[in-house]
Amino acid sequence: MADRLIIACCVVLALAYFYGTSQIPSLEIGDPLGPKTFPYLLGIALLAATGLLVVEHWKETRSAAPEPAKKTDKADRRHLPVLAGVVAWFCVYFAVFETLGFVIATSIFLLALMAWFNRGRWLANILSAVLFSVGSYVMFAWLDVRLPAGILPF
Amino acid sequence: METLQHILNGFAVCLQPINLMYTFIGVFFGTIVGVLPGIGPSATIALLIPITYGMDPTSALIMLAGIYYGAKYGGSTTAILINTPGEAASVMTAIDGYQMARKGRAGAALAISAVGSFIAGTLGVVGLTLFAVPLTSMALKFGPAEYFALMLFAMTAVSSLAGKSPAKAAISTILGLMIATIGIDLQSGQPRYTAEIPELQDGVGFVIAVVGLFAVTEVFSSMEEMIKGVRPQMIKLRGKLWFTREEWNRSLMPIMRGGVIGFVVGVLPGAGGTIASIMTYVWEKRLSKHPEQFGHGAIEGVAGPEAANNSDTAGAMVPLLTLGIPGGGATAVMLGAFIMYGIQPGPLLFQNRPDLVWGLVDSMYIGNIMLLILNLPLIGLFVRLLYIPGGILMPMILAIATIGIYAINGNPVELYMLLFFGIIGYVFRKIDIPVAPLVLALVLGDMMEQSFRQALTISGGNPSILVGSTICLILVALSVFSAVLPFLLPRLKAWREGAQADAA
Repeated sequence: MADRLIIACCVVLALAYFYGTSQIPSLEIGDPLGPKTFPYLLGIALLAATGLLVVEHWKETRSAAPEPAKKTDKADRRHLPVLAGVVAWFCVYFAVFETLGFVIATSIFLLALMAWFNRGRWLANILSAVLFSVGSYVMFAWLDVRLPAGILPF
Repeated sequence: METLQHILNGFAVCLQPINLMYTFIGVFFGTIVGVLPGIGPSATIALLIPITYGMDPTSALIMLAGIYYGAKYGGSTTAILINTPGEAASVMTAIDGYQMARKGRAGAALAISAVGSFIAGTLGVVGLTLFAVPLTSMALKFGPAEYFALMLFAMTAVSSLAGKSPAKAAISTILGLMIATIGIDLQSGQPRYTAEIPELQDGVGFVIAVVGLFAVTEVFSSMEEMIKGVRPQMIKLRGKLWFTREEWNRSLMPIMRGGVIGFVVGVLPGAGGTIASIMTYVWEKRLSKHPEQFGHGAIEGVAGPEAANNSDTAGAMVPLLTLGIPGGGATAVMLGAFIMYGIQPGPLLFQNRPDLVWGLVDSMYIGNIMLLILNLPLIGLFVRLLYIPGGILMPMILAIATIGIYAINGNPVELYMLLFFGIIGYVFRKIDIPVAPLVLALVLGDMMEQSFRQALTISGGNPSILVGSTICLILVALSVFSAVLPFLLPRLKAWREGAQADAA
């Protein structure tokens, strides 16, 4: 199943890449190849590799027993909504990273994740989230890397 | 003679207090990330590149190299105590190391790993010292066509040896090359595939890609494991942290053999520490008078592979320094660091900056001594790191990744790119596409296209220049050979699986 998806994606990607390559303006001076030749070769190589995967997939489906792993499929999915949440929370963190400032944004970001993944241990979580944020801010200031101060005055 | 003087001068460089300090920081960090299963040396090196911006390149490279070889020491600790390789190459150490730990011989397993790593690591650096100069004199004859062929060989070798499916590895390589073409083409000045996004003008920052693909991906995977509640049981470290004389006698030869195998495999592109340690394990099992003990706590099964994956790092530095071409994921990140500092490794670097090259190489002797100390008397301290709950550690790694990327340009858009690569890496892992080939291709992509175009400019567009010299022919033949190898040798797979099945 995954293989078929990869094959489809690669073909679409190769086509998009071919299209993108054809859109590159070129002036053909001095350089006999120009900016397009190498990309065209890459597009062809991607199609070739995909072809190889088709062969591999075909061989496997012929030799393997038909779909033995169906049962585990459903139970294995429960992490997906949580991970999607983590991704969304990560985006929120980025969005407020500069406006709220590093220390506050990071403390909140970490605390929420720790509250979920290290449940119940509030004291340890709060301490490590805040200490990490303040500590890394100070350390990076010392290294001359300015992290956004945001709404904090320092 | 001149070389000897350079080598000695290198010691003068790396023995400077500041460089000793950076060596120590490097190997210390290396041991930490080696011990922690969540994060590996490639991601750590990438994370630290932005911080090292203002530093002297020699010191910075000494530190980053320290992380690379230091992680191999730490990786065995986790393998032995919780049966999870702290670092990919320690996978074979886990087999017999964990069994030894269950029998109460954890101290012996840890001690033999540290001592074996030290012997083999030092052996590897000696090899690096000896082989570097002859190789550079060969590399000086390389033109663009030779470099193109060499990169082709590095990539096909990595593709054919990474993961189960050569087709998927090839796809990964080509995607890496495609990502490398994004941005303004340096020769014609034309923007390519930038879709009018200003952040893409300079191409996709490789640090972003590497931190995303390694660190963020690793965090997502660990979170998945936490949700599913798979948490390995840790064995308490008891008793003396040393081995008996009998154990030492059994281990010495495996360490020496592993050291040699590891170095040779390390020099070759593609294979890397994991394959070196698998080969050593299988070899030791065949040579052993008691092969039935393997998988049940044979100390040879710890000493040999652990030695192999440590001398491998020194071997992998050979092509990186002498040719400027990395043979795997971690060295690709190292090359990225070199490029960030505006330094092109290769034969000319040996002529122009012998202080940097030999300072770096010689620091590896010192670093190995430091690692021996860190990993024997002080290993108890590092083991405590394993008590840090993943629920606290993993979010912090995400924050560190964010800081690292933000520190480069202060551009929040790049943070979303980081997340994008993290998701890509996670998806790739789920569908069994290896990411190491992609990273290698991403780092080498620009150089590969440049040398391809330069070669064809020289020949006036005639592609026969790509096989126009003996070196080219050999390299292209090797590329073809490594590309078809996985198809010719399904036995190799059976062999590897056999080794793992025996062990399980």
